[in-house]
Amino acid sequence: MTAPARSSADERLLAFRRNKLALVGAALLVLLVAFCFLGPLVYVTDQVHTVLEAARLLPGEQGHPLGTDDLGYDVLGRLMAAGQTSLVIGLAAGALATVIGTAWGAVAGFYGGWLDAVMMRVVDAGIAIPGLFLLVVAATLVTPSVPVLILVIGLVSWLVPARLMRAESLALRSRAYVEAMRLAGGTGLGAIRRHIVPNAIGTVIVNATFQVADAILLVTYVSFLGLGIPPPAANWGGMLSGGLAYSYDGYWWLIFPPGLLIVLTVCAFTFIGDGLRDAFDVRFRERA
Amino acid sequence: MAVRSRVLVAVLAAAGIVLAACSGGPAGQSGSGPSDSATFALPPNATPNWILPIGIPGHLSGINTAVNRLMWPPLYTYAGDDGSLAFDEKASVANKPVFSDGGKTVTITLKDYTWSTGAKVTARDVEFHFNLIKANKTKWGNYSKGRLPDNVVSFMIVDDKTFTLTLDKVYNTDWFAENQLTQTLRPLPQAAWDKTSADGPVGDFDRDPATAVQVFDFLVERSKQIAEYDKDPLWQVVSGPFRVTEYSPQGQVTLTRNDKYTGPDKATLTTVSLKPFTSADAEYNVLRTGQLDYGYIASSNLGQTSALEQQGYTVEPWQGWAITYIPYNFNNPKVGPIFAQLYVRQAIQHAIDQPSIAKNIWRGSAAPGYGPVPQDEKSPFISDAQKANPYPFDIAKAKALITGHGWTIGADGVATCTSPGAAENQCGAGIAAGTPLRFELLAESGSKETDNTMSELKSSLSQIGVAIDLKQAPLNTVLGNSKPCTPEQAECSWQLSFFGTQGSWYFPAYPSGDRIFTTGATSNLGSYSDPKADELITRSTQSDDSAAMREYGEYLTRNLPVIWLPNPAYQISATKTSLQGVEQDPLVGMSPQRWSRK
Repeated sequence: MTAPARSSADERLLAFRRNKLALVGAALLVLLVAFCFLGPLVYVTDQVHTVLEAARLLPGEQGHPLGTDDLGYDVLGRLMAAGQTSLVIGLAAGALATVIGTAWGAVAGFYGGWLDAVMMRVVDAGIAIPGLFLLVVAATLVTPSVPVLILVIGLVSWLVPARLMRAESLALRSRAYVEAMRLAGGTGLGAIRRHIVPNAIGTVIVNATFQVADAILLVTYVSFLGLGIPPPAANWGGMLSGGLAYSYDGYWWLIFPPGLLIVLTVCAFTFIGDGLRDAFDVRFRERA
Repeated sequence: MAVRSRVLVAVLAAAGIVLAACSGGPAGQSGSGPSDSATFALPPNATPNWILPIGIPGHLSGINTAVNRLMWPPLYTYAGDDGSLAFDEKASVANKPVFSDGGKTVTITLKDYTWSTGAKVTARDVEFHFNLIKANKTKWGNYSKGRLPDNVVSFMIVDDKTFTLTLDKVYNTDWFAENQLTQTLRPLPQAAWDKTSADGPVGDFDRDPATAVQVFDFLVERSKQIAEYDKDPLWQVVSGPFRVTEYSPQGQVTLTRNDKYTGPDKATLTTVSLKPFTSADAEYNVLRTGQLDYGYIASSNLGQTSALEQQGYTVEPWQGWAITYIPYNFNNPKVGPIFAQLYVRQAIQHAIDQPSIAKNIWRGSAAPGYGPVPQDEKSPFISDAQKANPYPFDIAKAKALITGHGWTIGADGVATCTSPGAAENQCGAGIAAGTPLRFELLAESGSKETDNTMSELKSSLSQIGVAIDLKQAPLNTVLGNSKPCTPEQAECSWQLSFFGTQGSWYFPAYPSGDRIFTTGATSNLGSYSDPKADELITRSTQSDDSAAMREYGEYLTRNLPVIWLPNPAYQISATKTSLQGVEQDPLVGMSPQRWSRK
């Protein structure tokens, strides 16, 4: 009796599971999401109103497991609230960058010629300008908010996925099934929608995880520079920036927890991305 | 970003933070340069950007004045170096003014000073300054209607060193000497500056109002070329103890001793470098390395006092003769009618917990302030009302004031006007139904204490239905965006602004409010206008009755032309013990000419 043939999805799952770091990343992400989104349901704190009389309490003092910050906010509760902002912006901005980049790269690669040349020069020009610089400029022009940061980070981060997708599109457009569709009178956009993007979805998904990690780091940078979302909203970068003012005073609880969570989140997405690359890339699957 | 590099970046960032957090000990070498020089840290984001001693709007930062007084000293200097405000004989270019004709004539005699060109400083140089501000008062940033030059009927030169001013009426002599002559008039090098173009001839252009405008425009144009200051021959003609040898657009300034100075206040050090910083944290990191002779610490670092003392610094707050506030823009077409309601201003003031902000955010380095004169309980100028604080922190009372005047707090916590009209229990004239109590606040960046104060305001005001949309920018940007305006002007879109990390307004020795609260005054940023206030201010500047100042103070304490806030120390100074002669003047004048090395 022969073993039943494994489906492509099963093979991908198996390859992903063989990557131990990817599993660690996935577990970390689940824990982080639970901490940020379910945590506040269990551990309820006021993250809107300041309590100056309770400022800078030590961990454990007056029922604050991780102490309070310089405005009297409970640090543990603030880590949860801040994590929501960081994760939401990271995920949404990563998704936005992936969608824009995928569409841009697919069109450029599929049509080729002058259109490709023009579209890719736009990408080259965009890559030449540091994303952080654009973010800082944008933050000084408009008051940063969650939607604004999602939009701005998404708009400065789509360039790399556009390049990746263009390469995929260039390779896929000469495949027989794409040629057949065009000969049968199908439109270019139809071919992109039905064949090019679905067949490059592995690359897109892998890149998306890295986009999320990059977006979280960008939010951190901008907030660290004091250009993040104004209070009472919080994010880990802003918490880190605020805590550093007290670094010489030994207020470790204002510095290490947000720093650690940033590292863990970025590592989690990066490890998951690694695992997904194993899962979607045939060469890695065969090697595995 | 590659996978490994991404993880590396995150880990390195964390490691950097850990190292920064763990580095508690003294950090590095002492000594900051040659023994005949000194380095001075400029306030965060407050970079000098104007050299001409006649400021224009957007270039009125106090640091500009502090620097240009070292090159072109004013007629009179008052200082508090010895603990009380007094006439500083040594730094004054003229002998004390003599009032005659019942107080309407002022005779001033200059001391023996020379310009760096070798020419004598004469009464003509003072007349030059007077003529420039008289012909260009609409462009001059510190112009205030009715003040100098408006209140001088004639300027008459008696001889090279003596001139008389005939006043339009009798003024309070302290006010005229301490606020007008000290703040406004000084000799400027007429023989070098009285021209209309760089290559044009020098003449008496200032004496004709039409050509005086051209001279002023020329000087303003040259003053806009910050990168050229050290090379422009105009700015090298000085009478003070220093001249500028470096002045970068980023704010780095180097002052070099004027070896041709002939006054009694000669500089000891050869150079003094003023270093710009974007934040107090950045400055503190440099201070810890010992590279600054005269720096400051944020109140968040007060716990590090003993570490700094071990490093050879003396830490001491520098208290200013100042008040701190947030101006309301009464002329903003959108929210001006709301600010015009006294009950709204009272509610906002009641919602501000000044003692708690001073104690917890400023860690005791700020003092609550409840009115328009510096909150010095021993001052003869302070009113009983200001001492007592008529609007103590009381959220319930604040909320009642809002809800009792036709506002309903919605589910989002923001009050909206549900009873428009001008009756006693309605929102007030000019406020339409559905108008929200939502204001934009532009605050200066770079200070953790200011960030936290703004967060606290936003939080406490949210409890009474007032929403604050906070935006931050460097000090010069905030000042540039907070000008007096009329409702139809585009620049009148600002609503509330804060620029008081080191105090919002520093007074001359006589703390009158004519420049900040009189109708139409240039520094009345929010265009506050109240006939009774104008009348009391006028009385305080014209009468020698000391009660006039207290009456003015009491009225404005109650009438709330601005949001009163705790007044921070000008800075918490950290000074190298090897730097001698450093005294902290409440009028925040700098006297680096008196610094020396031990």
